[in-house]
Amino acid sequence: MSGAELAQIAVNAVLLSGILALVALGFSLVWGIMNIVNLTHGAFIVMGAYLTYGMHELWHVDPFLSVPVSMAVLFCFGFAIQRVLINQVIRAPLLATFLLTFGLEILIVNLLNFFFKADTRSVMTLYSGSGFTVGSVRVPYIRLGALGVSILLVLMLGAFLTKSRLGRAIRGTGMDIDAARLTGVKAPAIYALTFGIGAALAGAAGSLLSMVVPFDPNLGGGYTERAFVICVIGGLGNVVNVLIGAAVYAVVEVFVGSRVPALSGAVTFGMLVLLLIARPQGIAGKSAS
Amino acid sequence: MKRTLLAAAGLLLSAITALAADTIVFGAAISITGKTAKEGEYTRDGYQFAIDRINEMGGIKVGGKAYKVELKYYDDETKPERTAQLIEKLINEDKVNLILGPYGSSPTGTAAPICERYKIPMVEANGAAEAIFSKGYKYSFMILSPAKNYLRGVLDTILKKDPSAKTLAILGENEAFSKEVAQGAAEYAKERGMTVVYDELYPTNAQDVSALLTAIKGKNPDVILGSGHLQDSLLIVKQAKDLNVSPKAMGFSVGPSSPEFRANLGKASDYIYGATQWTEALKFEGDDPWKTPKAFGEAFRAKMPNYKIIPYQVAESAVAVIAYQKAIEKAGSIEPTKVRDALAALDMMTFYGKIKFDSRGVNIYKAMAAEQYHADGIKYTVWPFDVAEKGAMYPMPAWDKR
Repeated sequence: MSGAELAQIAVNAVLLSGILALVALGFSLVWGIMNIVNLTHGAFIVMGAYLTYGMHELWHVDPFLSVPVSMAVLFCFGFAIQRVLINQVIRAPLLATFLLTFGLEILIVNLLNFFFKADTRSVMTLYSGSGFTVGSVRVPYIRLGALGVSILLVLMLGAFLTKSRLGRAIRGTGMDIDAARLTGVKAPAIYALTFGIGAALAGAAGSLLSMVVPFDPNLGGGYTERAFVICVIGGLGNVVNVLIGAAVYAVVEVFVGSRVPALSGAVTFGMLVLLLIARPQGIAGKSAS
Repeated sequence: MKRTLLAAAGLLLSAITALAADTIVFGAAISITGKTAKEGEYTRDGYQFAIDRINEMGGIKVGGKAYKVELKYYDDETKPERTAQLIEKLINEDKVNLILGPYGSSPTGTAAPICERYKIPMVEANGAAEAIFSKGYKYSFMILSPAKNYLRGVLDTILKKDPSAKTLAILGENEAFSKEVAQGAAEYAKERGMTVVYDELYPTNAQDVSALLTAIKGKNPDVILGSGHLQDSLLIVKQAKDLNVSPKAMGFSVGPSSPEFRANLGKASDYIYGATQWTEALKFEGDDPWKTPKAFGEAFRAKMPNYKIIPYQVAESAVAVIAYQKAIEKAGSIEPTKVRDALAALDMMTFYGKIKFDSRGVNIYKAMAAEQYHADGIKYTVWPFDVAEKGAMYPMPAWDKR
């Protein structure tokens, strides 16, 4: 392997990890705070992708500018779903939320299939495919932009969770719901807010992905899976863990992908299994006890 | 009173069976959702189009009696294990007469042993992996050219334009059909004196192939071939452009032939070659309701105006129904084993090409074709050379020089 190729692989990994971090961020938040493994996450991502696609096709909105719009729409959607549906089963065993979010995922994907057909879509802009070259390393503008947006959102979420009253209320509810209640936190509202933020982040990830990969209503499943692996690798608890998980995942996927691509799935999941045995709380996570 | 009621019920029952007996029902499990949802839609539309046409022409004639034909299908969600369950259900519960294949080699591979077990024939039009037919099945028939031939035409076209094209990189999806396509292309390239500098498989549902493309870029090949499905081809072109991986020619087994290829890539699809089982430019004179590729295309568009370009999956699926029609008429029976024997002996010309099966049940007698997108946004048949609509454009300019 030449130095130039190694450099390109490293850059690919960095660019990929940004977008993967954003994919996993909302998933990790919902899981960490509410103890819900949200299988609808992938469907939210696809909704974000379709929103961006729709705005680009209809009104020629630049895909990067549509990110806030899909975040807002998905926030409202997620908030409503949590209030109306998930709150009903949040105290039930894990299986109930599992089934509910699984069912929702199927429902959303089938509705998207119905309205948008199974046609593969891509968002193509004038700058799609262009980029700049440093030495022999190629950096596509869109991927760089996606990385920038991801970093911005990760930082904003981190700041929100640690600095703002509402953010602290969210974290407090995640740590000890009874104690949080005693201090006057309204748990159902906090849960809905958390779920809304999770959905909004998924929407942002979908908007960015729509520029990077061709998609159809079935895109989401694979990303729910990736988000899950990243959360397990990094560990739950805070934003940094997600970044670590995404970085490790991206390095493995890109590196193995360039040498023995047929094995990249086996290697990632093999790593997951080993990690669960050796360090079940994740690379950076704190153990539960 | 009771007796009359019973008699009436009996009458009604026999009326229903009589009605059912006048209809031949084809069962199919097709990917209406999932990864190959679009291709599944083409498959269904092809089946339905041929079935409607046969009914318009009075149905299938068996010993002086005309049978209406009907399609009963379920969505297999692009999950091969689901396909197997559905085929079993179609045979056992729905009591369909005959089976039409699913979309894709993996689902076809799981459907074949079920048909074998129940001794119900399956004519399949969308599973080109020969591995399915190496197991000695007697009831499965492949209407299309096998996977290993897919990219030959593309290589022939490139090598005619530039005999000095020497190096080839292949990236393929890690599943039965695409693997055979890749192997076939590599073998043929070596036969023609090329060197395969990169040959790797990526996982099904890959969302990122930039790692493979980076490795390929390091080898600087003259030609890059991809063997996967539509979404993979789109992803490879997009990311090749992102990373400025610019070979002299680029071709794919599946993808360019669908209208969505251009719709998704726009100008980026210029210069790209695609393998295809069939195009409207081919010249055949067939013994079927449409006779020529051109007439088939026109008739299909008239009925389904949302199709501007007709993907080959539509044609091959339609011709599978025609093969059944011919075989049933020849057998003079709708008995599955007799239809099977008639299929095995079938030798006919159609708008789609020759239909004849070797001892395994593979139609090795039909050739592929190759197409290329030109700058006017239209894809032209560039191979076989004798029916080519236009000469190939070569070489492909570098992405950053366009």
